[in-house]
Amino acid sequence: MPAKVLSPQSGGWLSSRHRRGFTNTVAAYAFLLPALIGVFVFRLYPIALSLVKSLFQTSFVRGTTFVGLENYRVLLEDPVFWQSLKVTLLLNLAINPIQIVISLAVALLVNRQGHIVRIYRTIIMLPMGVSLAIACTLWRIMLDPNNGLVNSILNAIGMASQPFLTSPSQALWSIILIASWKGIAYWMMFFLSGLQEIPDELYEASTIDGATHAQQIWYVTLPLLRRVALFVTVAVTSANFLMFVPMFMLTLGGPNMSTNTLMYEAYVSGFVYFDEARGMAITSVILLILLIVVLFEFRLLKED
Amino acid sequence: MQKQVRTILQRVAWHFACICMAVFTLVPFLWAASSSFKPLSRVFADLVPFSFKTFIPMPPTLEAYVALFTETGYPRGLLNTAYVAVTVVVFGVLLNSMAGFAFAKLDFPGKRLLFTLTIVSFMIPFEAISIPLYSIINRFGWLNSFKAVIVPGIANGLTIFLFRQFFAGIPTELIEAATIDGASKLRIYSTIFLPLSKPAIVSASLLLFVGQWEAFLWPLLVANAPETRLIQVALSYINTQYATYWNQIFAGAVIAGIIPLIIILPLQRYYVKGISSTGIKG
Repeated sequence: MPAKVLSPQSGGWLSSRHRRGFTNTVAAYAFLLPALIGVFVFRLYPIALSLVKSLFQTSFVRGTTFVGLENYRVLLEDPVFWQSLKVTLLLNLAINPIQIVISLAVALLVNRQGHIVRIYRTIIMLPMGVSLAIACTLWRIMLDPNNGLVNSILNAIGMASQPFLTSPSQALWSIILIASWKGIAYWMMFFLSGLQEIPDELYEASTIDGATHAQQIWYVTLPLLRRVALFVTVAVTSANFLMFVPMFMLTLGGPNMSTNTLMYEAYVSGFVYFDEARGMAITSVILLILLIVVLFEFRLLKED
Repeated sequence: MQKQVRTILQRVAWHFACICMAVFTLVPFLWAASSSFKPLSRVFADLVPFSFKTFIPMPPTLEAYVALFTETGYPRGLLNTAYVAVTVVVFGVLLNSMAGFAFAKLDFPGKRLLFTLTIVSFMIPFEAISIPLYSIINRFGWLNSFKAVIVPGIANGLTIFLFRQFFAGIPTELIEAATIDGASKLRIYSTIFLPLSKPAIVSASLLLFVGQWEAFLWPLLVANAPETRLIQVALSYINTQYATYWNQIFAGAVIAGIIPLIIILPLQRYYVKGISSTGIKG
């Protein structure tokens, strides 16, 4: 060790600095390469292949021809597209704040030690590992308008039965309920892990300064949770913009297109009507909107 | 005195909030669990009118569990998924944390672009890439092997982003100090950053594990042979036999839902340091 420190630096200050810059770059790429190869091969390359298809039109007469943005122009004149866009934005304006705020609040609630809180925490974590498909299967029976558990409970306490997934005004909210049942438990875990990163000393210091619990959360916890909050916000937004299973399993976009999100419309176009170009055009619209929203979220929660 | 009243009120409010949330998460689970101990004929019969029988099987029977484990592909699916998920977690935590480290603490040309592409990679609807991805896997000759589900699952943009966010919170001075001491980047990553990031590692494992645990479309497309079938696909096959064995589906769902929980519960110490340990009463 001492020998290393004492060994003369070869070359001047500048060249050694350059060399270090070069080694740093090599080191950085060595760290990145294994994961980025996977991301490129299994995610970015296939989506690039797919997006190109949205610029082509396939017909029996002329085969596949390049049509530029024609598929997008057709989309803009399609009322079904605008309805789906409306549903997508409505769904996301509701579900993202609900899931983020409640999972953060619950994480703050159960982030303490003790026997009772351990029991609460375990119960609240229950849906975490339940797949959305299974959650949908469970909730379909529970929300059944005639023989469902929820209506059965509502009747038992003297309330009227609700139509839930079969009503145009309640279907979207029922999906929000189902997705949040799993989502809140799941995302809470990430907030909880973020809370562990906050040093105890900061809480101790602010207690000595006479801060109340609420003040501590506002001035100590939340600012330091920003990085993890950005992760959860972006992850929740992406997951919900791409949400597909509940529409596929429960509503098929109905009733009256009230749950016909862009994601579901893209699936119907591509896989039911075999209009792959339209499906991919819608997919790129989803990707574009999602990018804009996430960019805004990055700005909003920017690290100092 | 007034302060005491306030403390008690706060305590009551805290319990109330916890109980509300717990009821919301527990009721569907409890109902599914109790239904899994019922014979098929009682599953729906007990729903209306609402009574204690809705939640308590009278008498309980293990019929559904016995059938699930002896007559269906479920146990095989369970083992297959455990193997796939654990492999993905081990390699995924390693590779994605390395990339996250580079994005958080190293400087290199093209950083912004590569990070943006990483973010974009988890905004892609899987349904949209399933067809081209299928032909890639087909070209590799991986169809109906575990490789088809494991390898594309390891590199994960969301997990890279997760690690990046946690690593960014570790002071850069630690790197500078260690570099002066002659430590290589690899050494800094493995002896400083990883040990300081246990909550992040647990979270990333959860992300990767649950991702594999609940995967349905992709395993259905590329690994649908009976020997490689994964848990969600195996569950869906209970549905498509001569009748729908709801009690078996519930049994399968309860087991599938509880296993991630059993794994995460012992890890709670990395999750909950608890504010109360610092002497602050809630």
